[in-house]
Amino acid sequence: MSTKKTVLYSLHQAKGAKIIDFAGWLMPVEYTSMLKEAAAVRKSVGLFDVSHMGEIFVRGPESEKFLQYICSNDVKSLKEGQMQYNLLLNAQAGIIDDFMLYKARDYFLLIVNAAGCEKDYAWLKSKSSGFRVEIKNQSENFFLLALQGRKSEEILRQLELREAANLGYMHFGLFSTAGFGSLLISRSGYSGEDGFEILGENKFAALLWQSLEKAGRDFDLWLCGLGARDILRLEAGYPLYGVDMNEENNPYEVSLGWAVKEGKNFIASENLTQAKAWLEKKRIGFIMQERGFARAHYPIYNAAGRLIGEVRSGAYSPNLDKFIGSGFVALDYAQENKEIFIEIRKKRLRALTKKFPFLKLGVRKGGGDGKKVFANS
Amino acid sequence: MGKRFSQTHEWVEIENNNRARVGISDYAQKELGDVVFLELPEVGKEFTQGEQFGTIESTKSVSELYLPVGGKILAVNQKVIDNPALVNQSAEQDGWLVEVELEDASQINSLLGKEDYLKFVSQAE
Repeated sequence: MSTKKTVLYSLHQAKGAKIIDFAGWLMPVEYTSMLKEAAAVRKSVGLFDVSHMGEIFVRGPESEKFLQYICSNDVKSLKEGQMQYNLLLNAQAGIIDDFMLYKARDYFLLIVNAAGCEKDYAWLKSKSSGFRVEIKNQSENFFLLALQGRKSEEILRQLELREAANLGYMHFGLFSTAGFGSLLISRSGYSGEDGFEILGENKFAALLWQSLEKAGRDFDLWLCGLGARDILRLEAGYPLYGVDMNEENNPYEVSLGWAVKEGKNFIASENLTQAKAWLEKKRIGFIMQERGFARAHYPIYNAAGRLIGEVRSGAYSPNLDKFIGSGFVALDYAQENKEIFIEIRKKRLRALTKKFPFLKLGVRKGGGDGKKVFANS
Repeated sequence: MGKRFSQTHEWVEIENNNRARVGISDYAQKELGDVVFLELPEVGKEFTQGEQFGTIESTKSVSELYLPVGGKILAVNQKVIDNPALVNQSAEQDGWLVEVELEDASQINSLLGKEDYLKFVSQAE
């Protein structure tokens, strides 16, 4: 299968971005330096092309019933214009993917990871036969941009998107614009900063990208690639499917029990209770206390030399000026400030566990006029 | 005398009397991206030509460093240990890695001059 390009690929190429293959897509990993890009998002604002992600639409009279059955979270509690973090679980309570669920007036939208899109779509279709629903994978019709950082709102106001700038966190709206067609804009993101995600039709992608770039010049806007995106989400404590979790993991191991609505008629109900009761390991963050870069699959030991887990994610955090990471550890170590040792090229280096997030997040709770409160997690 | 380059992207520059400086090429730092960590040897350790003498880590990769000429480590650049980004900023000047007492200065003849190295790099792409 050949690699795919987003509708903005030629713009990234023209900017001299370093391109990598991510989940079968040629994507910019950085434009200048991923460390500088990640720092810029927490100081001013960054713009990301995340058009590789998938968009699956669910329509029909039994949409909510179907989604309540197949998604982990409480879909019934969603109001129109709200979005919700969700997991697709198999019958054994293993995680198939994580995604955002949007409730619009006439449909539900799932924005899923690029790597899992085909798999998720096939899974949804295979489980929908008993329900009056219509499921469509429309990923190839849309671009998706992420504008992340404290200056995001001001930039939206610079373009004709003032209504969108007033959205509350985890809320979205559909906005008809003069220049960019109909846009679905949500106050959400993967960076842990205040920001927006913008979904629109491909033919408007380049114009919107360039308009945001132009408007951003007064606000120190940086173009950011997947490298910065990965650093930011780790600093925020957000898991990455395929790295921090896969189908062998249940939500409780990954500290995603909060995204599971227990007690509903749900495909994984039986095995969820078992998974919770038989929990042996848990995902936790850590900060290196001796200089070293912890990477995926490096073993984790306790002071006595017992193997207690393994690293999954690791990075140098430019915003903390520390090497950080996350991984699975035995339950008694999945708490704050436990001493652990990461084996890096035969040396065991000291680290201290840390609950997520690693730093104070800038996402806003509440919303609308004047009622903005910064959430601390 | 100028720099000579290995095909593994290290350079060596003779300073005087068999004392030489070693670093990585500008091409290498561009390929690596942000350098975040360096593992360099202790002063006094000896390596043969082509032997791994350390490790350089960028945000996305771990790469071995190979000594382009054999010898004994005389000095380690503490500035790059404290600030790995210096390797990106100035790989072929201030971002040098180690200084070496050469066991055999003629080994330098097996390395590439700058022009040949740049040609080698452009052919590899």
